[in-house]
Amino acid sequence: MSSFLAAIDEPGRELPSTAPAPGATGAEFLLAALVREGVDTIFGLPGGANLPIYQYLPTFPLRHVLVRHEQGAAHMADGYARASGRVGVCMATSGPGALNLITGLATAHFDSVPVVAITGQVATATIGTDAFQESDVIGSCLSVTKHSYQVRDARDLSAVVAEAFHVARTGRPGAVLIDIPKDVQQQPVSVARGSTGRYRVHRAPAPPSSELVARAAAHLAAAERPVILAGRGVAVAGAQGALQQLAEACDAAVGNTLLGTGVFPTRHPLALGLVGFMGTGYCNQAVSDCDCLVMVGMRADDRVTCRLDAFAPRAEHIIHINIDPAELGKTVDADCQIVGDAKQTLEAIWEQMPPRPRPAWRATVDGWRQRHPLRHPHNGLLQPQEVLAACYERLGPDDITVADVGLNQMWAAAAWTGTEPGIFLNSGGQGTMGFALPAAIGAQAANRTRRVMSVCGEGGFMMTLQELATAVEADLPVKVVILNNRQLGMVRQFQDVFYAGVRSQIDHAVTPDFQMLAQAFGCHGEVVRSAAELGPAIDAAMAYPGPALLDCWIDPEANIYPIVPFGKGLADFVECPES
Amino acid sequence: MISQAGSFAGSDPIANGQFLNGSSPRVRLISVRVEDRAGVLQRITNCLARRGLHLASCAVGQGSEAGVLNLWLRVDPGTQPADQIVKQLNKLIDVVSVDDLTRSEPIEWAMALVEFRPNGRGDQIEETLRRVRAEVVHRDPERLIAALAGPPDLVQAMLDELSQLPIVDFVCSRPMALGSGYPVSASEPARHAQAGSE
Ligand SMILES: Cc1ncc(C[n+]2csc(CCOP(=O)(O)OP(=O)(O)O)c2C)c(N)n1
Repeated sequence: MSSFLAAIDEPGRELPSTAPAPGATGAEFLLAALVREGVDTIFGLPGGANLPIYQYLPTFPLRHVLVRHEQGAAHMADGYARASGRVGVCMATSGPGALNLITGLATAHFDSVPVVAITGQVATATIGTDAFQESDVIGSCLSVTKHSYQVRDARDLSAVVAEAFHVARTGRPGAVLIDIPKDVQQQPVSVARGSTGRYRVHRAPAPPSSELVARAAAHLAAAERPVILAGRGVAVAGAQGALQQLAEACDAAVGNTLLGTGVFPTRHPLALGLVGFMGTGYCNQAVSDCDCLVMVGMRADDRVTCRLDAFAPRAEHIIHINIDPAELGKTVDADCQIVGDAKQTLEAIWEQMPPRPRPAWRATVDGWRQRHPLRHPHNGLLQPQEVLAACYERLGPDDITVADVGLNQMWAAAAWTGTEPGIFLNSGGQGTMGFALPAAIGAQAANRTRRVMSVCGEGGFMMTLQELATAVEADLPVKVVILNNRQLGMVRQFQDVFYAGVRSQIDHAVTPDFQMLAQAFGCHGEVVRSAAELGPAIDAAMAYPGPALLDCWIDPEANIYPIVPFGKGLADFVECPES
Repeated sequence: MISQAGSFAGSDPIANGQFLNGSSPRVRLISVRVEDRAGVLQRITNCLARRGLHLASCAVGQGSEAGVLNLWLRVDPGTQPADQIVKQLNKLIDVVSVDDLTRSEPIEWAMALVEFRPNGRGDQIEETLRRVRAEVVHRDPERLIAALAGPPDLVQAMLDELSQLPIVDFVCSRPMALGSGYPVSASEPARHAQAGSE
C-alpha cells in the first residue's frame, strides 16, 4: 500500500490539486482529470498500449488494483459502482486487453451501472494497419456502451474525461469507453481544450407530465387491488422512501425485480418479493390478479413478464414509469407511460392520490403468502437455503452480498432479508457467470469497513477465480461462499424440467479441491458438508482478517422453486413438491 | 450530398420500381440531425441493426448548422414497436435531434443519373429526355448522361419512361426531405459538459 492510501480512505478528504503543468503529457492530463472526477480507485492491467499511463500513475493519488484478467477489472469497477453509487473505473491495454473488458462492460451497461473504461490503443499513425495488438474496441463495444470516445488529440483529454463521467452517471447510467492511442498518451499538452464542443451530452429529463401523473393517481385511487413492481431505477433515483410512502397510502403490494432487490424492505407487510420467472408464488399471483399495476424503474424484460399476453391480465390500468423513454411500450404496452425520475414521479403521484386502506386486498395477499410459501426439501442433505440463512444471520444490516448467476443467485435473492438497495448485487440483465467474485472485490474496495460476501456456484466461481490473488494482494477481505452442487445446476434444472430430462454436459466430474485452492492463493479455506459444520465454519471465515472461502457441498439435486414454465404466464408458476 | 444509391447494371434496370419508396406500410421516414464526428454513421446503423430495425434507405446531407449532418432514413421497424426507431436513436449521445416525418407530408426530393449508349439513337433519346424534363449533363459519342430530380414518385415515373431506351447504368439517390415533423426532441442549444456537474 502506498502512503497516499490512508488519505484516500478518509471521508471528506480534500482532493489534491493535480493540474498538470503546461508541457505535461496526455497521460498526466488523463490522470489529473480522473482525480478531478473524484476517482480514488482504478482496476486495471497494463500492457504495451497503455504503459505511458502507468508511467505517471504512481505520482497521482489513485489506488490501482492490479487484476489478473481484464474481465475482472470491468466487473470490479461495476461492483464498486453498484456498491457506492459512484462511477467505477477500469483500464486495459489495446487488443486482447480491451476485448477482455467487453463481457464486464456489457454486464454493467445492461444493468445501468456507471462505469468508465479506459483502453490503450495503438499509435494514431498505425490505426487501421492491423498493427500489433490493434483492435477496433470502439466498434466492438458499440452495443454494450452508452457512448465511446477515441481521443486523437491529447488537448481534448480533460474535456473528454469530464464528459464521459457525466454521460456515465446522468439520466439512465451506463458504461462509457475512452480509447486513447499510445502517442496521444505521450503527447505534450500546452493548453487543454475546455470543452468537446458537443451539442448535447445529457438531456436533463423533463419533470413527469402532470397530466399523466394525475391520470396515474386517479387510476391508483380507484383501484381495489393495486400492485407496484420496482426495479433498480428506484435505487438509482433514491426513491425508496417515495415508493414506500405511495405503497402504504394505497395498500399496494410491492414486488421487485432481481435488480430491484432491496428497494423495498423485504420484511414489510406489503412486500411480495421477487417477480417473474423464478419469483415468489404470491408475487406472481398478485400481479396476475391486480386491477392496477405500477411498474417503476424497471424494463419489464421476458424474465419478468414471462408470457407477455398473460402478464397482468386483469389490470385495467398499467402505469409504467422509466427515465428512459425507450423502455416504455417496448414490451408491456402500458396505457399510462410516464417518462421521469422515479422519485419525482412517485412523489407527484402520491401528492395527488387520496390515501385509502384496502384491508380486503391485504387479506387476499396475506392468504396467497400463506398458501404459497417458499419451500425447500428436507432430505438430510445440506440445503442451499440453510447455508444462506446461516450466512445472512451473521451479516450486519449494511453488509454487502454479491450473487453470481445460476441457482445460487436465485436462492441468494430469495433468502435475502435486507432492507436497503445497493447491498444485494447481481448481474440481472446479462446474467454473467463469474461476476460475483470480482464484483465483490470492487464492492469491498468501495467500502473497506463493510463485510462483502460473494455467493456463487462452483461453475461461475471457476470463470474468474484467479481474482482471489487480486483480493489477497489488494487486501480486500471478501468472503466467498460456494454453493457447490458439482453441476451447472441451473442448466441441469432446465434440462430436467424443459428438455425432456436429458442431462447433457452439466456434470463437473472434476473440480479442484477448493479448500486447497483457497489456501494456495493465500486465503482461508474450509469445506462444509453438513448443517452442523456451517456455523463454526462461517464464523471462522468471517473472523479471518483476509479473503476466505467456504466450499459448501449442497444437495446436488436442489432446485429453485417456484418456477414459471417457458411459454406460460406468471400465474402458472410451479411450486416445490412437498417433501 | 452523399447517397447510398441503388445501382443496377443490366438489361432491365428499372422495372422493379419500389426502390425509392419503402416497401412495407410500417416503414417510417426519419430525419436525424447528428454530430458530424468520426464513426457516427456506424453508431446509427449499429443502433438500428442491433434492435432489429431494418434500415431500408439512407441519405446523408449537410444541413444549415456547422458540424451537424442531416440524415434521412427509411426504417422498417420489423417486429418492434415503430416508436422504438425514434426512441433508440434519440439515446445516442451524438444525435442532436430525431423527427419522425412519416405523417407530416414533408417535401421529399430525389435525384438520378442515367447513362445511355446512343448507338445512333441519340436524337430519339434526347427527345424522350426533353419530354420527361431530364437534363443532359454529359454528351460524347460513346455516352450520354442525363440527370433527373424531383419527388420520389416522379423520379420513379421518369425512370419507368426511360427504361425503353438503351440504358447502360443508372444511380438513384434516396430522397432527402424537409418539412415540419413531429419533433420528439426540440433541438437544444449547445450544452457543454462541465467537470463534475450533474
Ligand atoms: C458466462 C456464462 N455462460 C453461460 C451461462 C449460462 N448459464 C446460466 S446458469 C448456468 C449454470 C451455472 O452453474 P453454477 O455456476 O455451478 O451455478 P448453479 O446454477 O449450480 O448454482 C449456466 C451455464 C451464463 N449465464 N453465463
